[in-house]
Amino acid sequence: MSLLRVENLFLRYRGQTRPAVDGVSFSVERGETFALLGPSGSGKTSTLRIIAGFERSERGSVALAERTIEGDGVFVAPEHRNIGFVFQEFALFPHLTVMENVMFGLHRLPRDERAARAMEILDRAQLGEYAGRYPRQLSGGQQQRVALARAMAPRPHVILMDEPFGSLDPDLREDARRKIRGVFRDHEMTAVFVTHDQTEALGFADRIGVMRDGRIEQVGTPEELYRQPRTRFVAAFIGGANILPGQGQGDCVMTAIGRVPVDRDATGDVTIALRPEHLQLDTPSDGVPAGKVLSRVFHGHDLTIRVAFTDTEITVWDDYRCPFRVGEAVLVRPREKGVVVE
Amino acid sequence: MKRSVLPPWYLAIPALVVGLGVLVPIGYLAVRAFDADPATLRALVLRPRNLELFVNTMTLATTVIAVSTLIALPLAWLTTSTDLRGRFVVTLLSILPLSIPGYVAGYALLGVGAPHGPLASIFGTSGPKLSGFVGAAAALVIYNFPLVFLHLRTAFASMDSSLTDAARSLGLTPGRAFLRVTLPQLGPAYLSSVLLVLLYVFGDFGVVSLMRFETFSYALYMQYIASLDRTYAAWLALMLLAITTTLVVVEFRLLRDVALERTGLGALPKSRPRRLGAWAAPAYLFIAVVALASVALPIWSILYWTGQRGAWTNMGELARSFVGSLSVSVPAALLATLLAVPLAYLTRRHKSALTHVLERSAYIGYATPALALALGWIVVVLHTAPWIYQTVALLILAYTVHFLAQAIGPVRAGLHVATPRIEEASRSLGLGAIATFRRVTLPILRPGLVAAAILVFLSCVKELPLTIILAPLDFETLALNMYSFTAEAMFAQAAPYALAIVLLSALLTSILFHRLGEDA
Amino acid sequence: MNRCWIRSVVVVALIGAVLGGCGETKEARQESSALDADSSSVLVLYSGRSESLVEPMIALFEKQTGIDVQVKYGNTPELALTLREEGSRGQADVFWAQDAGALGAVSKAELFVDLPADISTNLPELFRHAGGKWVATSARARTLAYSSERVKPESLPKSVFDLTDARFRGRVAWAPSNASFQSFVTAMRKMHGEDTTRTWLEDMKKNKTQAHANNVAILQAIARGDADYGLPNHYYLLNFKKTEAKFPVEQAAFAPGDVGNLINVAGMGILATSTHRDAAERFVRFVLSPTAQQYFASEVAEYPVVGDVMTNARLEPRDELLRAAPRVTLDDLDDLDGTLALLRSVGLL
Repeated sequence: MSLLRVENLFLRYRGQTRPAVDGVSFSVERGETFALLGPSGSGKTSTLRIIAGFERSERGSVALAERTIEGDGVFVAPEHRNIGFVFQEFALFPHLTVMENVMFGLHRLPRDERAARAMEILDRAQLGEYAGRYPRQLSGGQQQRVALARAMAPRPHVILMDEPFGSLDPDLREDARRKIRGVFRDHEMTAVFVTHDQTEALGFADRIGVMRDGRIEQVGTPEELYRQPRTRFVAAFIGGANILPGQGQGDCVMTAIGRVPVDRDATGDVTIALRPEHLQLDTPSDGVPAGKVLSRVFHGHDLTIRVAFTDTEITVWDDYRCPFRVGEAVLVRPREKGVVVE
Repeated sequence: MKRSVLPPWYLAIPALVVGLGVLVPIGYLAVRAFDADPATLRALVLRPRNLELFVNTMTLATTVIAVSTLIALPLAWLTTSTDLRGRFVVTLLSILPLSIPGYVAGYALLGVGAPHGPLASIFGTSGPKLSGFVGAAAALVIYNFPLVFLHLRTAFASMDSSLTDAARSLGLTPGRAFLRVTLPQLGPAYLSSVLLVLLYVFGDFGVVSLMRFETFSYALYMQYIASLDRTYAAWLALMLLAITTTLVVVEFRLLRDVALERTGLGALPKSRPRRLGAWAAPAYLFIAVVALASVALPIWSILYWTGQRGAWTNMGELARSFVGSLSVSVPAALLATLLAVPLAYLTRRHKSALTHVLERSAYIGYATPALALALGWIVVVLHTAPWIYQTVALLILAYTVHFLAQAIGPVRAGLHVATPRIEEASRSLGLGAIATFRRVTLPILRPGLVAAAILVFLSCVKELPLTIILAPLDFETLALNMYSFTAEAMFAQAAPYALAIVLLSALLTSILFHRLGEDA
Repeated sequence: MNRCWIRSVVVVALIGAVLGGCGETKEARQESSALDADSSSVLVLYSGRSESLVEPMIALFEKQTGIDVQVKYGNTPELALTLREEGSRGQADVFWAQDAGALGAVSKAELFVDLPADISTNLPELFRHAGGKWVATSARARTLAYSSERVKPESLPKSVFDLTDARFRGRVAWAPSNASFQSFVTAMRKMHGEDTTRTWLEDMKKNKTQAHANNVAILQAIARGDADYGLPNHYYLLNFKKTEAKFPVEQAAFAPGDVGNLINVAGMGILATSTHRDAAERFVRFVLSPTAQQYFASEVAEYPVVGDVMTNARLEPRDELLRAAPRVTLDDLDDLDGTLALLRSVGLL
C-alpha cells in the first residue's frame, strides 16, 4: 500500500466562489519524491497544507502510513501527523539558534539524546560549524538546509516542501537540489514538494502531479508527462509544446502546417501537441502549407525560430546550421508523431 | 489566506472581558446623560462655544502631531539608519521624556518665562513666555514625541532595505527614494502613534488647564468640578467619545488599506548606514536642543525645587507612596500586557468584525475621559461587586482597562515577526497549539511584551483622576502626594515626589532602551 | 542575556504581586477590624482638603482618641461627585470639603445627617449652615493680590468694581472655574443683582482679564509678570512667602463691606451612610477645638471660625475680617447653578 494516499480533497476559502482545491487525489510510494507542479493559484500549496493539517479539507481523506489522518470524521492535529514541513520562507524560529531549531522537534527523545541527534544531522548537512548561530546570521542557502534538517530530525514519515528552492538564487538551486536528492536517497525519505518550475519538477521528482484550477490534470513520471501529455494544458506547461487544432484522418491529422502523423487514431475535430524539438524547417514545396519566419533567436548549439501561419504561430528548435532568415517562406516538418490531447 | 474559524475560547474569554470592562462604564455615561432636562441640554450641546472648543482641540492636536513628527522622524532615522556616533545615548534621550509627567513638563515650561523661577534665579533674566496655545503645545509635544519616536524607530529598524535599493535602481535619488518608498512603509506604525497622540491630547486636562488653553476635555472637566454636575458632563463626555471613536474607526480603515507585510524572507538585508559627513554637526545641534527642552529643563526644574527649604521633610511618606505607586502600577502593567496578547492575537489571526470591535474597544477605553470612567466604575462596582470597591484590585483593574491600548501596539508589532508560518512550523514539529504559543510565539513576542508593560507602567505611575477617586482609603501614590502639594503651591515639598516619579520611570525607560539596544 | 531578562521580569512581577498582596491584606485587615472591634474606633474621612494641610491634625486626633482615621484625599468636587455616585451604598463617615458649594451640593442630595445642635451654637452666623447639616471649620478671604514690583500700594482700587477701569486692561488675573471665585460671583448676585453682576463680568472680560486654572496659577502669573493684579484667596500667598520670602506679590483688602472681601469657608458634615456616628461627632468637635483652630491659623494661615484663637501674625484678627466682610451669609451662597449659568452665558465656562 502507498505510504501517502490523498483522495478527493476539497477546500474553499471564505469569501471565494471558486474552490482552491477541487477533488484532488494521488498517492505517493515509500521513498518516492513527488512533485505538485502548476502555475500559481492552481491549489498546489493548499493541497500541501491540507496534508500537513494546516487547512481542513471539506471532504475526501488523507491516509499516511496506513492510518487515516483526515477524513471520515477524523482530524489529526498537525503536531500528531508525524510530517515534516519545509516552508517557502523557511520559518526558522528567530529566537533560537540553529542547534535549538533542529532540537525543537526532538522533544520526544530523551533529553540527553537530543543534542547528539541534532548535531549528527547538522554535521551531515555540513552545518555543524553554524550550530550556535541565529538564523538571521545565515545565508539563504544555509537557512534552507537548516529548515530541511529541522524538518527531518524527528524522522517524519514524509517531508512536505513548499517551493523549497523558490527563495534561493538560481545558481544555488542546482547545487541545493543535488544535495537534497542525495540526502533523500540516503535516508529513503518520502517527500512531496510544490513548485511552479517545470525544470525543477522534471529534474527532482520521481513522479509529478500537474495541477490547474484546483484539480490534478495528470499524474506521471517526468518522461510520461513529456511523451504522453493527456491535456493541452499539460503539454503546454511541460516543455512548451505547440498546440494545434486539426481534422483527424485516422493515423494522421490535417493541421495549419499540413498533415501530421499522430500517436493514435483520431477522427473529427482534435487537438494535437507538437514539441518544438520534434520539428524541423524545410524549403517550401507544393501541397504543403508554408509559413513565414517571424523571429530567430540564437542559443549556441540550437536556435528558437518562430514561424507564422495563417491562424497560428509555431515554435521550432532547429540546430545551428538552420539557413532560414527572418521573412523567408518555410514549411514545418514533424520528425516525431504528434500527441493527441484533450 | 485565512482560515474561517472562530477564535478559540482561551482567546475569546479575556477579549470579551476587556470589551465589557470598557463598555460598561460607557453605559453609565449614557444612563446619566438621559437624566438631562431637554431645554438645558439643547443649550449646552448646541452652544457655539462647543465648536470653538472643538476647533481649539483640533488645532492643538494637529500642531502637537506635526511638531512631534518633525522631531521624532529625524531622530528615528538618525538612530537607525546613519553612522551617527552615540546612537544609543540619543535613543535614550529621545524616550526619556516619557518618564516626565505632563504637569511637571508644564510647570517647567512655565518656569522658563518666570522672573522668579529657576531659570531667572540662575541667569538673572527670564526666557520667552510659554503659556496658552504655545505652552500647551510645547508641553504636550515633550511628552508625546517619544511615543512617535518609538513607533517610527521600530518601523525603521524592521524595514526591508531591498525596497529602497529597488527604488534607487529605478533611478530615484536617495531623497526621493526616502519620500516615495521609505516614508510610505512607515505608514502603519506612524498611524498607530498618531492615534495615541490624538487620544492623549483629546483627553489631557492637566497640561491644558495649567497653560490656560481651553479644549474640549478642559470644558468637560470644568463641568464636573465646577458645577458638580453629572448629567451635562456626561453629555460632554459622550460628545468627546463620539469624536474619539470616529478617530479610532478612521485609523482602523486607513490601516486596513495599507497591509504592508514584508514580502522578503528570513534574514533582513541590513542596509548600510548612511554616512552623515558634514551633516553630523547640525544633527547633534538638533539633538541637543531637543534633549535640553524635553529632558534637561524639566529635570533641572525639579532638582531646583528639591534644593529649596522643606523639600525633604517627610521621608516616611515618600517611601510609603513609592511602595503604593509600585503596588498598583506593576500589577496593572502586567495585567494590561497579558490582556493585550489575546486582543492583538485575535485581530491578526482571526480577523472578523467581532474581534476588530473588541480590539478597538481598548482604544475607546483609552479615549474615555478618566474622571467619567472613574465615576462609572463606582456605580458599576457598587451595584455588582461592592466588596471590590475601595480596594487595590479595583484601581488595578481601572488602570488596566484605561491604558490597555498602549500595550496593544508593541504586542501587535511582535506578532508581525511571529508569523503564522512560524507557528505552523512548530505544529509540524509535534507541538500543540498551546505549547506552540508558549515556546515559539511568546518568546518572539517578549521584546514587545516588555515594551508594552513599561509603557503602561509609565502611564499608571503618573495617573491622577482614576487614582483620586478609586484608590483605597489611606492609600498614597507618588502622583497623589505630588499633586496634593502642588495644589497648595508647596513646590519644594512636591519636588521629591516628582523626582521619584521621574527616577523610577527613567529606570524603566532605560530598560526599554536596553531592550532596543539589544535588537539593534 | 535572555535568561537575565526573564529573571528580571519575573522579579518585578513578584515584587508587584507581593506588594499588591500586602495592600490587599492590609485592606482586609482594616475591614475586619472595622467590623469586629468597637465600631467607634474607626473613622472613614473623605477629605477635599489637601493632605499637606490637614494630616498633622488628623494624626493628633488619632493619638488623642485612639480612633483610626482612614482618609481618602482628593479634590473637593471630585469627592462630592464620588459621594453622589456612591449614594446609599457608600462607606464614608465624614466629608471635609474645601468650600461651601460642594457641602451644599451634598446636603441637597440629602446625604448628610443633622449635626448635634450644640456643635455650632457658639459660632458666628457666617460660619453656620442654617439647616444644621454642616459646619464651617476654617475661613479664607477673597483678596486683591498685586505685584510688589510694578504696583504702588496707594494706587490700589477700593472696590472690585473698579477693576473694569481701562488702566487695568489686560493686567488682572482671575480663575473663573475656581469654586471660591464662583462663591464670590454668587455673593455679588445676591448683593448687587443679576444685571449688575452680568455687566461686571462682561466688562471684565472686555477688559482682557486673564483666566487662570486656580489661585496658585494667579499668583504665579503675577510673579512671572504676566499680570499685575489678581483675585485669589488670601492664604496661598502666605504659603508662597513661607518657602520664598522675596516672592514679589502682596495682597490687600478692598474697602470694608466690598463684595471683593467675601469670606469663604471650608467645612464638614456627617454622612447618612456613616456607621461610626460617635467617632464622626468627636472628629467634628475636635476640628472646632482651640487646638485644631490654632493650627489652621498658624500653620495653614487660615482664619479660625471660633473666637478665642491667636491668628497668624500676617493676618488681621478674625473680627477685623468679619467687619470687612460683605453682608452675605453662607446660605445665600448655595445658588451655584444660577452662577454657573451666568458664567456660561457670559462665556467664562
